[in-house]
Amino acid sequence: MLSTLQPPRSLSLLPLRRFQISKTIVSAASSKTIDTSVISPPQSQILTTRRSLLSGETTAVEIAKSYLSRIRLTEPQLKCFLHVSENVLKDAQEIDQRIAKGEELGPLAGVLIGVKDNICTQGMPSTAASRILEHYRPPFDATAVKKIKELGGIVVGKTNMDEFGMGSTTEASAFQVTANPWDLSRVPGGSSGGSAAAVAARQCMVSLGSDTGGSVRQPASFCGVVGLKPTYGRVSRFGLMAYASSLDVIGCFGSTVADAGMLLHAISGYDRFDSTSSKQDVPEFQSQFPSVDHFESKPLNGVKVGIIRETLEDGVDSGVRSATQEAASHLEALGCILTEVSLPSFSLGLPAYYVIASSESSSNLSRYDGVRYGNQVMAEELNKLYECSRGEGFGGEVKMRILMGTYALSAGYYNAYYKRAQQVRTLIRKDFKAALEQNDILISPAAPSAAYKIGEKKDDPLAMYAGDIMTVNVNLAGLPAMVLPCGLVEGGPSGLPVGLQMIGAAFDEEKLLKVGHIFEQTLKGSSFVPPLLANVA
Amino acid sequence: MATRALLAVISASPNRCFISPSRIKILQSSTSSSSVHFHRHSRKIHRIARSYSSDSDSSVLQPPDVSRLAQTARISLTPAEIEECETKIRRVIDWFGQLQQVDVNSVEPAIRAEMDGGNLREDAPETFENRDSIRASIPSFEEAYLKVPKILNKE
Repeated sequence: MLSTLQPPRSLSLLPLRRFQISKTIVSAASSKTIDTSVISPPQSQILTTRRSLLSGETTAVEIAKSYLSRIRLTEPQLKCFLHVSENVLKDAQEIDQRIAKGEELGPLAGVLIGVKDNICTQGMPSTAASRILEHYRPPFDATAVKKIKELGGIVVGKTNMDEFGMGSTTEASAFQVTANPWDLSRVPGGSSGGSAAAVAARQCMVSLGSDTGGSVRQPASFCGVVGLKPTYGRVSRFGLMAYASSLDVIGCFGSTVADAGMLLHAISGYDRFDSTSSKQDVPEFQSQFPSVDHFESKPLNGVKVGIIRETLEDGVDSGVRSATQEAASHLEALGCILTEVSLPSFSLGLPAYYVIASSESSSNLSRYDGVRYGNQVMAEELNKLYECSRGEGFGGEVKMRILMGTYALSAGYYNAYYKRAQQVRTLIRKDFKAALEQNDILISPAAPSAAYKIGEKKDDPLAMYAGDIMTVNVNLAGLPAMVLPCGLVEGGPSGLPVGLQMIGAAFDEEKLLKVGHIFEQTLKGSSFVPPLLANVA
Repeated sequence: MATRALLAVISASPNRCFISPSRIKILQSSTSSSSVHFHRHSRKIHRIARSYSSDSDSSVLQPPDVSRLAQTARISLTPAEIEECETKIRRVIDWFGQLQQVDVNSVEPAIRAEMDGGNLREDAPETFENRDSIRASIPSFEEAYLKVPKILNKE
């Protein structure tokens, strides 16, 4: 059936070269010199789209059709989307009309964007993968979505996720389980698993996710794409359904660092509807993405990189550890000065995070009462209406976290849990600050393992929470971090991707993007394309 | 450290005391100079700890009262859900207990990441244009009012 389909024209824009898998691990260049002869750097989908539209090589409608066709082919297996927009072709036509009239194009013109389902899209279902919001269509766009549309971006649809962002596998969606494009029997990570898998399978060019404790970075690692979590305050949270307000940020996925960076640029900036959004200037990130032809022999000469000792100890899979160490060697080969740093408070982040996130969720999710929006279960008495609407509307993990948060915030327990976790947050912040005063960026694995099997950790909350250990501290400190693929480990039909996490100082996404782009463009055999897509192409 | 945290996760079991008596001593000593208010909390934590005392104390382990928490959070749970939640929540709360060992004496709590202040907009009402769409989302609506079960003059 697949062979009878016309190969979509824009597929030729996609890099379809694949890694040659060795038995144990294929990862970053371990040699100390850069062998440019074998480099096949991935191309920015945003810039490629723009070039092909402006040159008349193709049209926005043709590109959109090719992506919709790929969604039709791959979606029955992957289940990345909870809703696919009916307006994609209409929006694309508008772009083509603008081109025909010679009008100026926004930087995201014709770019097809997936949006996580907990980010409000006007008139389009936005359920946070919860029964309690089934059929809910918000009356407004989230600020990030509004900005994307103003710049010509096309929302392809709403991506699957763990209900209200509470989970690390996307299995906690009330509606469907998303599969990992690298191995359909494995999870894509979470909670933004739909957004990560959709970019990996090229169902969209880039996507929005949200990251409360690693929900952009961990699925980026599992799916072999770039995941960018901005500094807290860089992007407005207006229209993002709140889970833990002191930690939540909207983040970006792309198949290249440049794509994730350009999407971040589009959605960044102060918003009067979010008092926690920052008035800090948003730099023009695009200058950080030069072509590989313009790289010097040591393009990252003198950049100080600290590798976090605590992230490479026991409990981390050996393949992940090797990939991270080889990625560090690659950074050294590019001119970075590598040192080992210690964050003494590192291990405290995980319990502190879960106390804070559960507590804040118990407060934030009190708005879902079945009265003003969402599903209602009618009852004889008002409290019963609340209880039944919430009892039927929320899934198991959400109920559990609300109850844990209710417990932690109870009179007499507050100081022992919530306040103490906030104090631990101060310790974590101080440790990061000290480490980042000595280093430009810090690196670590994105997760202790590559993608695991669907169902493997579903019924064991603590096993699931343990997988967040590499990422939660960054949210507690409010810092920017990016995960990008750095290697493959054994597993699945053709290996499983492993991500490298780079952590920067507050509001210094620019440095992350610069280092990340050069790392990505010089990585040997650097196209991370899942086997599923190769079959479709 | 990663090791320690991961091991702590793995070893957290339903039978472990979530705040051991020794941990409470640490907590008390770290707060001994604080106000009476804090002492009151310490006593409460003592009571909590007694109700979760370890196997070695030979007393019955009591998990958080899930039915009461569900009532507070306005969530109806089936008996099966209560049973499942009790086991899982108890394990997680027990695991949270490791935070009691941390010396946070004189550490200020951080409510969120550092951020620039003064970003509040003027507190002035604005008219939202798309009112019909908001109204369309309301499950029970009648003549400009949200409709809920009767709450006044009940028998």
